[in-house]
This record gives sequence, C-alpha cells and structure tokens, in this order.
Amino acid sequence: MKRIAPIDIAGGILVVAFLALLPMFAASNYLTGVLTVCVIYGIWASSWDFMSGLTGRENFGHSLFIGAGAYTAGFLSSIWSTNPWISLPLGVVIAIAFSLLVGFPTLRLRGPYFALAMLSASAILQRLCLIFWEYTGGEEGIYGLDPLMKTPLHYYWFVLAILVVTVIVLTLLAQSHWGLLLRAIRGDEATCQAAGINVTFYKIVSLMISAGFAGLGGALYAHYQLQVSPPLFSVVVSITVIIMVYVGGIGSIYGAAIAAILLTLLTEMLRGFGEYRLWIYTLTLMLILFFLPNGLIAPLWRRLTERLR
Amino acid sequence: MLQILIYGAVSSAIYAMLAVGFTLIFGVARILNLAHGSFYALGAYAAYVLTSLLGFPLFIAAPLAVLIVAGFGVVMERFLVRPLRSSQLAVLMITLAVSLAVEQALFITFGSEYRNVPSFVADKLSIGGVDISGQRLLALVAGVLVLLGLWLFIQRTRLGAAILAVSQDPEAAQYMGIPTNRIFSIVMAISAGTAALAGVLVSPFLTVQPTMGLLPMVKAFAIVIVGGLGSIPGSIIASLILGYSETIVAYLISTSWTELVSLVAVVVTLMIRPSGLLGRRAAF
Repeated sequence: MKRIAPIDIAGGILVVAFLALLPMFAASNYLTGVLTVCVIYGIWASSWDFMSGLTGRENFGHSLFIGAGAYTAGFLSSIWSTNPWISLPLGVVIAIAFSLLVGFPTLRLRGPYFALAMLSASAILQRLCLIFWEYTGGEEGIYGLDPLMKTPLHYYWFVLAILVVTVIVLTLLAQSHWGLLLRAIRGDEATCQAAGINVTFYKIVSLMISAGFAGLGGALYAHYQLQVSPPLFSVVVSITVIIMVYVGGIGSIYGAAIAAILLTLLTEMLRGFGEYRLWIYTLTLMLILFFLPNGLIAPLWRRLTERLR
Repeated sequence: MLQILIYGAVSSAIYAMLAVGFTLIFGVARILNLAHGSFYALGAYAAYVLTSLLGFPLFIAAPLAVLIVAGFGVVMERFLVRPLRSSQLAVLMITLAVSLAVEQALFITFGSEYRNVPSFVADKLSIGGVDISGQRLLALVAGVLVLLGLWLFIQRTRLGAAILAVSQDPEAAQYMGIPTNRIFSIVMAISAGTAALAGVLVSPFLTVQPTMGLLPMVKAFAIVIVGGLGSIPGSIIASLILGYSETIVAYLISTSWTELVSLVAVVVTLMIRPSGLLGRRAAF
C-alpha cells in the first residue's frame, strides 16, 4: 500500500476548509446552492473516475446510476412519503442493482461493448421515463420531495462531508492492492487473466462501487432540487462528468472532484451565455483531448508540490 | 398481418441503412463513431433547409443533402478523428463531442420546434388492402437499392476489394500499396452518406428536431451488437429482426414498449452469443 504524501493531506485539508468556510463570507443562499451542486458533481466525477479511470473501461452512461438514485429518492420521498433519510441508502442499492444489470452481460467482454451498452441503457431509460409518464411524471418529473435538512447551509456542509468521505474511501481503495489490480487490468487484461486474476469480478465490483456513490450523489441531488426529471438520465450529464474527470486528470480521483467543483462554478458564471454553454464545454473537451491528454488539475498539483515530496 | 409485414420492412430498411454505415466504419477503420446519429439528423435538416427554406426541387435537394453530410463526415474523420486514432477512448470522446456540438448547433440555429419536410411522393398506395404512404414505400425501396448497391460495390469493384483488404489487415494492406488513409476517408463518406440518406428519407414522416439522432443511433448500436461488430450481412439480418420485433410489439402490446426491444436484444445477445450473429472476431 502506497502512503499518501503529507503534502497531499495538507492540500486536501486546506481545500476542504476553504470550501466549508466559503459560504460564511458571502452569506447568500444562491452561492450556497451553487456550491452544493458543485460538490454533488464532485461526488459524481470521482465515482466515475474510480471505475473508468482505473480500469480504463469507459462508462458512457454514468447518468444511468445518477438518475436511478435520484428517481429512487423521488419515488420514496414524494410518492410514498417515507422518511427522506431512507432514500440515501436505497438510492445506493437501486443504483448498484442497475450496475449489475448492465455490468454482468457486458463487462466479461473486451472491446467497446460496455461503453455502448451504458450509453444505450441511459438513453433508453430516459425515454422510458417519458413514455411511462403516468408513474414518472413524464417531462415534469416528480415534485415535492422533502428536504433532508432545515437550512441550505447545513445541507451544503453535509454534502461536502459526503464528498470528502467519498474521495477518501475511493483514494484509499485506489491506493490499495485492489486499486493496483484495477490499474493492472487497464494495462493488460490478458496478462492479468493469465496471472490467475478474476478480471471480470474486479471490474464488476468496481462498477458497483462507482454506481453506489453515483446513486448516493443522485439521491443527494434530488433532495437538494426537491424535484427529479428525465434530463438527469441524459447523455449530457454523463459527458459533463467525463469532461470533468478529463480536466482533473484521469485516475487521480481528487483531481476529478476539484475539476468538477471548478467547472460547475465556471458553468454558473457562463450562465449569461445561455445556449452556448454546452458549446464551450464541448470545445473544452476537444482542446483537452488534443493538447492536454493527461488533464490539468492533478498534473499541475504534482508539478507544484514536486519539491515538497 | 400484411400491415406488420410492410411496416416492419420499412423500419428494417431504415435501421439497416443506419447500421451498415456504423458497422462499416468500425470494421474497416476501427472507429466507433458516436457521431453517427448526428449524420442522420444533419441529413434530415439539410433536406429541410434545401427544400423548405431554399426551395430546391426534391430530386436535387436529396442527393445534395447526402453529399453535404458525406463531406462533413470526411472532414470530421480527417481533422478530428485521425490525429487521435491511436487511442480508442480518445476516438470515442471526440466523436461524442462532435455529436453534442452538432446537436447544439442545430438547436441554436433552428430551435427545438419540430420542422416539416414536404413529402417526396404525395400519393398513398394500397397493397392488399393496407394503406401505406408513398414516402414510406420510397424509403423501403431506396434502402434496399442502397444496400444492394453497396454490396455490389464492395464485392465487385477494385475499390471494394481494397476496402475489404484494409478491414482484414490494415498493415498488410498498406504494404500491398493500398492507401489506407484514403480508404478510411472513402468509407467515412459512404458511412455518413447512407446515414444522411436515411435521415432525408424519413424526414417527411418523422419529426425533424435537434435530438432526433440519438435514439436511432442507440438502435444502430443494438443492431450492430446483435449482428456482430463489423459484419455487414449480420447487421442487415439484425435490422430485419429488430425492425420486425418492434413492429410486432407495437401491434400486439403498445408502442410504448418498442424502446425496450433493442435493450433486451442487446442484453440477450451479449449473454448468449457476445460476438453477435455473424461476428467474425470472438469477443472474449
């Protein structure tokens, strides 16, 4: 097990402290709301990075898990009016169930099957939400979820704490023997198989972990918006998450979380551009693919702290 | 019964046009083109602009639309995909980026409203008591002709032989003096062109709107997985299977359930026979 350098821990604590105190200086519910969304995107991006960044099996339908978690929360809290705290664990469970449904048939194969199946599954689920509108509320979605906490600020801190836990758990897993195996699978799957590693098992379990955290993020998002709607399943959500991971540096997890926060803030600032926002996103992706294939945040951080290690 | 037979044939033909291009560019250039659906959407919009806005007659507008989209495909392959071809992931990402960019561009230029394209053939035909619009019939006939033409082109011409050679072994083909990169451009043009033609043909009877490319592309994936990645006959058979099962489900149960057909088909195929019906390469 690789030790995490003290400088990384120090940097992490500084960033988290800064994020936690930020809404205190400018006490506006608007800023707290934006930051909450930023942090939730952080959970989504780091969970994507754990599975796809480490094993190199790109998941083009992360929104499937996000939407599954969010809709679980929607059904539970709004339609069956259960205690809102139940939706978090159940959101995780349902997202994991979906990951098994797609993961089992596709992850034992090599080639692009997993990417295609995830993309198709999320697109089809979005359609199903619209088609079975009697149950899902169609275009409008489900309204009237109960909030988890009384004030937005407390909720923001809660979500931030969950992001911190997510990043720590996933980083520890990635640094462990387990993470080494996942990286080995990315390197050469056939050799891993020859070495007696049950490649399929490791891939499916890492997808389950990734889906679980994404579902948790989805349920948190649903209880922040107090509403869920079909665009949660859209390809745009998946691609936004993937772009965040790319900017952060694939396989670094903390980079993905920080890139997600920065990019969501940036998107909020670009709100004036309206329809052109997605264009700017797509353009960012193309530029990064061509000029910064290793990402921006994680390599930059490593560069800056090289002397202190 | 006859109704199922005819409508199933029409949707199979459209699916086949989409899937063949998708599987061709994968089989030859190993490019998994996530922008394939945007060719279809661009074809439909090009037909809309040329006929409704610029007032071209249809028999000029349709081939022109196909040519424009084929050109777009070639440019995309040359400047965006080719520099990144060494990494399969980068190719997936860049083509997905292109498809999002196209969708957004269509959205910004035309808005999200549905657009109408005039019918190519106004008459309705009656076959054995089943009414079918001439436009659907035209789509069927054109689809069959295009697939037949493509098959003859690949099997009977020198260029077709070169394409087959590259798909079997790009390096060996290069050593034999086949200009692989030029073949990729040609295949991309064919692939984009057939997808655009499908878009042009359906534009009068389906809705023309920016997100129209996504679902047909998902169907094309499903067909290609069922038929076997890279196999053209496989994707034609799978198109027939999927087109007919969707029509039958729509008649027997309800149209809501048709979207599930492709998902079930993919899952079943991947569990039982992952290489697809006629896939050459074992996927394990």
